[in-house]
Amino acid sequence: MEFKKIIKTIFFTEILKGMALTFKSMLSPAVTRQYPEEKHPAMPGFRGLHALVVDPATGKEKCIACGLCAAICPSQCIYIYSTEGPDNKKFAERYEIELTRCIYCAFCVEACPVGAIVLTEHYEYTDYSREALYMTKEKLMANWNKYMAGPKGEEYFKKFWHPTADDYRAYDGQPMFRKREG
Amino acid sequence: MDHIVTDILEFIFLMWFAIFSAGTLDVLINIGIIILKIAAVVAVVMTHVAYATYFERKAIGHMQVRLGPMRVGPHGILQPIADFVKLFFKEDIIPAQADKPLFYIAPVIAVFAAMSSLAVIPFFNGFVIANLNIGLLFILAMSSIGAYGIIMAGWSSNSKYSFLGGLRSSAQVISYEIAMGLSLVGVVMMAGSLNLTDIVKAQQAYPLKMYIFPQFLGFFVFMVAAFAETNRTPFDLPEAESELVAGYFVEYSGMRFALFFAAEYIGMILMALLGAICYLGGWNGPFQIPYIPFAWLLVKVYCIVFLFYWVRATVPRYRYDQLMALGWKIMIPLTLLNIVITGVIKILT
Repeated sequence: MEFKKIIKTIFFTEILKGMALTFKSMLSPAVTRQYPEEKHPAMPGFRGLHALVVDPATGKEKCIACGLCAAICPSQCIYIYSTEGPDNKKFAERYEIELTRCIYCAFCVEACPVGAIVLTEHYEYTDYSREALYMTKEKLMANWNKYMAGPKGEEYFKKFWHPTADDYRAYDGQPMFRKREG
Repeated sequence: MDHIVTDILEFIFLMWFAIFSAGTLDVLINIGIIILKIAAVVAVVMTHVAYATYFERKAIGHMQVRLGPMRVGPHGILQPIADFVKLFFKEDIIPAQADKPLFYIAPVIAVFAAMSSLAVIPFFNGFVIANLNIGLLFILAMSSIGAYGIIMAGWSSNSKYSFLGGLRSSAQVISYEIAMGLSLVGVVMMAGSLNLTDIVKAQQAYPLKMYIFPQFLGFFVFMVAAFAETNRTPFDLPEAESELVAGYFVEYSGMRFALFFAAEYIGMILMALLGAICYLGGWNGPFQIPYIPFAWLLVKVYCIVFLFYWVRATVPRYRYDQLMALGWKIMIPLTLLNIVITGVIKILT
C-alpha cells in the first residue's frame, strides 16, 4: 500500500466526503410536492379521464359506432351497443367504458377515424363506488363539456390526436372511413 | 434451601431495622425523591425517544432531498403521538408456533435493560438516580442483558428471519461489547473511577473540559462500537431490511413491537449520553449557561444523535464478515494500543 492510500484508509476520507455530500443535500430545498395542496398541472396531451367529443354544431356525439376503439382496446373495457337511428344511420345507443379496467394507453383515441373520443387532462376522479367509475355515454359527453369544450378540445386534436381520416389521401373509389356529414 | 430463606429473612429484618433506626419519615422522603427523579428521567427520555424517531425521519428525509413527515400537525410535529396511538391500539398478533413465555418476555427484557441503564447517568451535577461506584460497568452489563431480549425474540418467534436476526445480533453485540468496554478503559484509567459523576469531574482539568483530545482513539472506537451496539447503519445487520425483512422483531406487532422500537432508541440515546459523559465532558461546557444545568449535556447528546442519523443517511451496510473483521482485527487492537499509550503516559507524568 502506498502512503496516500494508507492515509485515506486511516482517516476514511471517502466516508467523510459522502457525509459532506449528505449534509449539503440536507440544506438544499426538498423536491417533494405536497400533492393535494400543491397540484401540478397535467402536461398537455396527458392521458386522463375519457370523454366523448360533442359536436358543437349538433350537440350530439361525433361517434359513428364503428367499434374500432372497442376492437383495439387491449383491456377490452369499451362496450358499444349500436343501433339504427331515426335517419337510418348507425349510432351508438350505449357507449360505456369501465375505468377500473382501462390502462390509459389511448389506443382508442388513435384508432378513432373521426376523432370522437379523447383522454382529458383531468385525473382526480377517485371514488369509493364502482358505479362512479363506470362511464356511460351521458357521463362521457358531460366530461367533454366540462374539461375539453371550446378551443381546448380543438387544439387537442390539432396537436396530439389528429384523426387519421382527416388527412387520408386515396384515389377515387378507394373505400375508406369518412366523417359523418352534417 | 433453608439458609437462603433465613438469609432473605435476615436481610428484610436488617432493612426494617435500618429504616426504623434512621427514622421512618426520612426514609419515606428519600424514597419519594427517588421516585420523583425516576419519573422525571423516564418522562424526559421517553419524550426524547418519541421525537428522536420524528427528527430521524426529518433529517434523513432532508438528506435525501425529501421533506419527511409533513401531514400530522404543522410540519408533522405530532407524528410521534399519532404513531404511538396507532401502535398502542393495533392488534397484538402472536405466531401460533411461537414459544409464548419467551415471546412475551423478550421485549420487556429489551426495554428493561435499556431503561435501567439510565439510573446511573448523571444529567447534571448531583442529579443521578443511583450514584453507583461502578456506573460504567453497570451500563455495559445492562447493554449485554439487552442482547438477551434480542436473542430471545429471535428464537421464540420461530421464524427464520427472526432467528437469523437474533443470531447476527448476538454475535455482533458480543464482538463489539469487547471493543466498547476496552475503549472505555482508557477513560477509566485517566479518571481513576468507574463512577460517571467522578469521570465528568475528572475531565475539568483537561482542554475544553473534555477527554476527547487525549482519548481520541478511544472516542473513535467507542463511537464505532456504539453504532454496532445499537444495531444502526452501517452495522444494522440484525435488522437488515433488505435481507431479513426487519430482523429479530419481524413477528412482533402492536405494542410489543413498539417496546423493541423504544428499546432501540433508548439505547441510542443512552450511547449518546455515555459518549457525551465519558468523552465530551458531560454537563460542563466552555462557559456556564445560567439556570439550565444540563444544557451542555443536551447539546452534546443531540450532536451525537444527529451523527447517528447522518451516518445512517450516508453509509451502506457492512457485509457480515467485514463487520466481524473490523471488530476483532481493527477495533480491539486499537483499543489495546490506546490502553497501552494511556498507561505509559500516566506512569510518565
